[in-house]
Amino acid sequence: MTRLLLRYASLALAVVALNFILPRLLPGDPLDASTPDGLGSAVSTLTTDTRARLRATYHLDQPLAAQLVSYASDLARGDLGWSISRDAPVGQLIAARLPWTLALVLSSLLLAAALGGTLGLISAWQRGWVDRWLTPASTLLAALPEFLVAMTLLLVLAVGLHWFPLQGGRSAFAGDGILDVIWHLTLPALTLVLATTAGFMLLARGAVLGVRNEPYLVAARAKGLSETAVALRHAAPNAALPILTLFAVRLGHVLGGALVVERVFAVPGLGLLAFEAVRARDYPVLQAIFLLASLGVLCAMFALELLYRRLNPRHVR
Amino acid sequence: MFADAARVRGRAASVAAHSDQPSLARRQGHTDRPRLGILALVVTTVALLALVAPGLAPYDPRLSVAAPLQAPGPAHWLGTNDIGQDVLSQWLYAARATLTLALTVTTLATALAWGAGLLAGLSARAEAPIVAAIDLLLALPALPVYMLVLTLIGPSQLHVALMLGLLGWPAFARVVRAQVIATRAAPYVEAARCLGASPIRIARTHISPATLAVFPAHLVLTLRFAVFAEATLAFLGLGDPSLSSWGAMLGWAFANPLLFTSSAWTWLVLPPALGIAALLLVGGLSATARPED
Repeated sequence: MTRLLLRYASLALAVVALNFILPRLLPGDPLDASTPDGLGSAVSTLTTDTRARLRATYHLDQPLAAQLVSYASDLARGDLGWSISRDAPVGQLIAARLPWTLALVLSSLLLAAALGGTLGLISAWQRGWVDRWLTPASTLLAALPEFLVAMTLLLVLAVGLHWFPLQGGRSAFAGDGILDVIWHLTLPALTLVLATTAGFMLLARGAVLGVRNEPYLVAARAKGLSETAVALRHAAPNAALPILTLFAVRLGHVLGGALVVERVFAVPGLGLLAFEAVRARDYPVLQAIFLLASLGVLCAMFALELLYRRLNPRHVR
Repeated sequence: MFADAARVRGRAASVAAHSDQPSLARRQGHTDRPRLGILALVVTTVALLALVAPGLAPYDPRLSVAAPLQAPGPAHWLGTNDIGQDVLSQWLYAARATLTLALTVTTLATALAWGAGLLAGLSARAEAPIVAAIDLLLALPALPVYMLVLTLIGPSQLHVALMLGLLGWPAFARVVRAQVIATRAAPYVEAARCLGASPIRIARTHISPATLAVFPAHLVLTLRFAVFAEATLAFLGLGDPSLSSWGAMLGWAFANPLLFTSSAWTWLVLPPALGIAALLLVGGLSATARPED
C-alpha cells in the first residue's frame, strides 16, 4: 500500500517535472528571431529592452533551478499560467470549459461501458446472431478513428436528415435552455458512445470467452443454476477486471477532453480549447491541459490498483 | 485513445510476468496470428500508389491550378479545393506521405521496444530505470502529449515521425520483457547455463529468438497506430503543412465553416475519408484474431 502510494507519487512528480522540462528541453526559443518557431518575425521588431523585459517577466533570465522553484510555487498556489492568445489566466479558461467536457464525456463513457459490457457478455455467452453481427461490427468501429465516425454521423443525421444541429454547444439567441444543450450534445455523445462501446464490447467478449470453460462454471451448472444465473453471477464478475481497467483508463482521459469529437462538432469543451491553443501556439494552455490530463490518468490508475486489491486478492504481491 | 488497447494489454502482460496465472495477454490476442495476407496486399497497393504518385498525379498537389471549389469533371476527376488545388493529385501524394511515416515510426518504435524489452528482461541493473520509463510513458495521455510536443518543436513530417517513434515503444517493450522473463526460466535456457554458456551467448542464441514470436502481431498494430495517429494529428492541424495527407485534407476541409452549405463536401471530405477508412479497416481486420473457440 505504501509502496503503491510512493510509486504513484513519484510518477506524479515526474509528470510535473516533465511539464517543466519539456519546453526547455526541446529546441526553439520564443524570443529568438532566427528560429522559425516562437513568436517568429514579430520578435525582430522588438527592442533589446523589451526583449529583456519579456525574459524577466517569464523568469527566463534566471538559472534553471530558480525557474523550477518559481514554477513549483505557482503550481502549488493553483496558478497554471497566463494564456498567450486570450490574455486570461489559464485556470479560468479551463474552469469555463470543464462542465461541457465532463457532461459530454462522462455520460457517454458510462453509457458505453454499460452497453458494451452487456453486449459483450451476451455475445460471448450465446454465440448466436448477436455474436455473428455485433462482433464484426465492433471490430470495424474500433478500427476507425473517431473523426471518421463523427463525420459519418454528421453527414447522415445533421447534413442529410436535418435531425440535429451541425455544430456548437447551444443555439444562438436561444438563452440557456437545458434541452437545447442536450439537443446539441446528442451527436457528439452518440459518436463517443459508438466508438467506445465497440472497445468495451470486444474486451468483455474476450474476457467472458476466456472463463467460459473454467471448472467453477461447470460446478455452478452442476448445482442446478440456470444458464442466466451462471452467466450473471459467476462468469461476469470474473471477467470484469479488463472492463474495469479500460473504464479507469478512459476515465483518466476525461480531463484531456474529447479532442477530436469536440473539434468536429465545435463543442466548447476542453478539447476544443486545446485545439484552439494549438492553432495559436498557446503553450501555457497546452501545458496545463497536459498536466491535468496526466494527473487525471494517474489518479484513475491509482484508484484502479486499490480496487484490484479489493476485487482480486490474488493480485497482491 | 491510441494506447488504450496497448495499455490494457501491457498491464495484462506485466501482471502475467509476475504471477503464475494464465495470462490475459495470451488469452486475448497473442496466440492468434494476424492475417498477414490481406495486410501485405493493402500495404503493397499503398506502396505502389506511393511510388507512382508523381507519374499518376495530373497536377502538382501544392499549386493552385484551377478555379476554387470546382466540381469533379474531366479536367479534375475529384474536383478542386477551396484554393484551387487538384484533389486527386493531393489524394495520390497523401498515400506516399502516409506510407513513409508509418514505416519510419514502425522501424523506430520496434527497434527501441525490442532493445529496451530485452535489456530490461536480462539485466538486473537496467531493469528498474527501463520499467520506470515504461510506466511513466504509458501513464501519459497520448493526444495532449503529442499536441504539446508538436506545438513546441513545430509540426514537420520528420518531427511527427520522430515523436511517434520515440514515444510509441513502451507497450511492446513490456510484452518483450514478459517474454524474456518467461523464457529465461525455461529448462533449455537453464541447460545452456549449466553447460557453461556465457550470458551474452544465452541472450543471443536462446532468449532473443524466443521474442520473435510476438513480432508479427506487433508490427501490424504499430503500423496501424502510426496511420491512425498521423491521420488524427493532421486532422487537428498538427501535420506537415507542406505535405498533403488524408488527415490533413480532412482538416483543411473542416477549417471552412461553410463546408456543409454546398455540395463541395462530397469531393472534399469523401475521398480522404474513404482512403483512411480503407487502410485502417483492413489493417484492423488483419490484426484481429479469428474468433477462438
